[in-house]
Amino acid sequence: MTSTSFSRLLSTTASNPTLLRTGSQHLTPSLSNSLTRLLFSTSATQHHKENPVSEQSQPQSLHNENQQIQKEEQQEEEDDGDEIDLNKETGEVGGPKGPEPTRYGDWERNGRCSDF
Amino acid sequence: MTTCIPAGRGTLHYRVTDYKGRSCSKGAWVSDVSIKSYLQKDLSWSKRVSKVLQIHRSEFSVPALCKNRKLFKVISSSKKDGTTKYFDFAVIGSGIAGLRYALEVAKYGTVAVITKAEPHECNTNYAQGGVSAVLHPSDSVESHMKDTIVAGAYLCDEESVRVVCTEGPDRVRELIAMGASFDHGEDGNLHLAREGGHSHNRIVHAADMTGKEIERALLKEAINNPNIFVFEHHFAIDLLTSQDGSDITCLGVDTLNTVTLEVVRFLSKATLLASGGAGHIYPKTTNPLVATGDGIAMAHRAQAVISNMEFVQFHPTALADEGLPIKPSKPRDNAFLISEAVRGDGGILYNLAMERFMPSYDERAELAPRDVVARSIDDQLKKRDEKYVFLDISHKPKNEILSHFPNIASMCLQYGLDITRNPIPVVPAAHYMCGGVHAGLQGETNVKGLYVAGEVACTGLHGANRLASNSLLEALVFARRAIQPSVDQMKNSSLDLNASNLWPRPTLPLSLGSNAKAKILSATQELRKELQTIMFYYVGIVRSTMRLETAEKKIGNLEAKWEEYLFRHGWKPTMVVPEICEMRNLFCCAKLVVSSALSRHESRGLHYTVDFPHLEESERLPTIIFPSSPLNSTWSSRQLQKQPMYQ
Repeated sequence: MTSTSFSRLLSTTASNPTLLRTGSQHLTPSLSNSLTRLLFSTSATQHHKENPVSEQSQPQSLHNENQQIQKEEQQEEEDDGDEIDLNKETGEVGGPKGPEPTRYGDWERNGRCSDF
Repeated sequence: MTTCIPAGRGTLHYRVTDYKGRSCSKGAWVSDVSIKSYLQKDLSWSKRVSKVLQIHRSEFSVPALCKNRKLFKVISSSKKDGTTKYFDFAVIGSGIAGLRYALEVAKYGTVAVITKAEPHECNTNYAQGGVSAVLHPSDSVESHMKDTIVAGAYLCDEESVRVVCTEGPDRVRELIAMGASFDHGEDGNLHLAREGGHSHNRIVHAADMTGKEIERALLKEAINNPNIFVFEHHFAIDLLTSQDGSDITCLGVDTLNTVTLEVVRFLSKATLLASGGAGHIYPKTTNPLVATGDGIAMAHRAQAVISNMEFVQFHPTALADEGLPIKPSKPRDNAFLISEAVRGDGGILYNLAMERFMPSYDERAELAPRDVVARSIDDQLKKRDEKYVFLDISHKPKNEILSHFPNIASMCLQYGLDITRNPIPVVPAAHYMCGGVHAGLQGETNVKGLYVAGEVACTGLHGANRLASNSLLEALVFARRAIQPSVDQMKNSSLDLNASNLWPRPTLPLSLGSNAKAKILSATQELRKELQTIMFYYVGIVRSTMRLETAEKKIGNLEAKWEEYLFRHGWKPTMVVPEICEMRNLFCCAKLVVSSALSRHESRGLHYTVDFPHLEESERLPTIIFPSSPLNSTWSSRQLQKQPMYQ
């Protein structure tokens, strides 16, 4: 199930803070970016953004994941040139994709509310 | 315009009531141990400790960056009758408030962080929204204050609001310095979202797991700190207090190690209570299982003043497991809230007869404000005596539903519900306790040496209703403010190593046969559900004097029935088992909510009663509960170590 695989991936990374905090801040936005990309590409039936990476099967280990992230970063740079991962609607770099979580007043992600 | 009632300053009138509805003065009782003798002992705690530490004294002033070197010696004693641990500071709870405090006081002495389960298991961890703070040049403290006071229905303490809104930004910056990483904008500045009720963008967040990120960062720091000792799976039973004249002082806390089943007594010169909320007095709550109001109950038993317990924040639409085709094999511990976005996108509410009811309550129908929707759902459930209502989005295109709400879609699908074809069963869920242990501006309580921060505290910030994302901020600010008074208290404390003998110890139920124990646990589980049902039905979103009085009677009877059952099966007053301790805490908190609700003769913020459906200016005061005389109290409302010798 998409949500369980996503949360498993997230909790793996959350319990491995070194992965989140390795190097500069640059990695962190890319990492969360790749995680959200995995979620949206597998759950949404229509997704406009083309991303060949997301069709790959989920990496087995964190090490592979690390490599994959770096590959993605490189690919991104090659594909998009100077463009950074900016959500034009919210102005956020590397933040969660999709509609603004607070658009209806509460804090919402994919329909689930966590604060109001 | 806003008249606010400062906490703890006695010039203005308070409405006071004890939990039985009688007004009374601070409790005074005859202590069953003599405390004078220990105060006169020659060797005080601090003197003895300083002798031991003389050799290390030069290292005191070194900034605490020596990660692998302990700066302070921890004293622990194990005798035949049990273990006692001595710390300068004790922290009950390992959420944002507890850990923030611990990290700071660790510069001055040893710290025990006592937590009921795993350290990360707390309300903070589930707070996925964000932290609010004035961090944008076009924003202002005044604006944040105004938003808070408006949301709080003008019941907030203005000074508390000012302090939190002013100090908030620095506290958030410190969090970042401690390693919490929040989302940024293109310009490199923190990305600020704007949540309901806020007039500026000011919500700092980390993707969609802000609380988890904060908890991770703080816990990492705490674990690496040589002066902080984390005691997980230690259930706090009762605060240890002593009385000197009219002063009550907290000297530590008794706990039960739920893994080794050993009673561990902690003596500390200063104690921070940061034990979080009490969502589990209701059957449906977003809070994890640990949130059973332990701290509020312990504080009340320790004669601390409690306030504003009637203000319980509910969310109108949580996924109702009872309505799912495939019931979850075990009950969901914390509720799955269905966002307002579903209604915003066109979701319709129906009762179980498939009647659309919102238009009869409000012309805005499903788009009415959240509290109107909550009351309407509550009213429908009561009128029709049903367990849930339906939220239907299936009339929308399937691909739209799946792309907007994949989380709900997959969750429901797991239990046999396809939301693109069928309605979603929903029911209101308890989320946050605005009330709690009455705190001053430094997190101090009327019990010396006892400080509070976080959800367990009632600082006056939230008033009658919490503004979104203000709770993490409140925890940060008050945890920090409690530092200086705690340090002063610690330095002036003359707590003696022999103080451990002042109070009888909690005991394990060794004399109980396994049959009796099983019966007691089973009965407790049943009665817990019954208490939750009473609370949901009689002390929910829409209240009435009759319902509240009924609740009071029913809860009183239930408690008496439970205690009688316990003692009939061989339970002794000093025995401890986690489920039993939780039950007595739940009873305590439930009663506090009911009596507070009964005393408010108006509707304000989260407290709505059909008998007084409007705001009443003369009622615009906090509800304060003083401890009552222990003479006619129940077992649950007395500290374990203060049980009468003869039953």
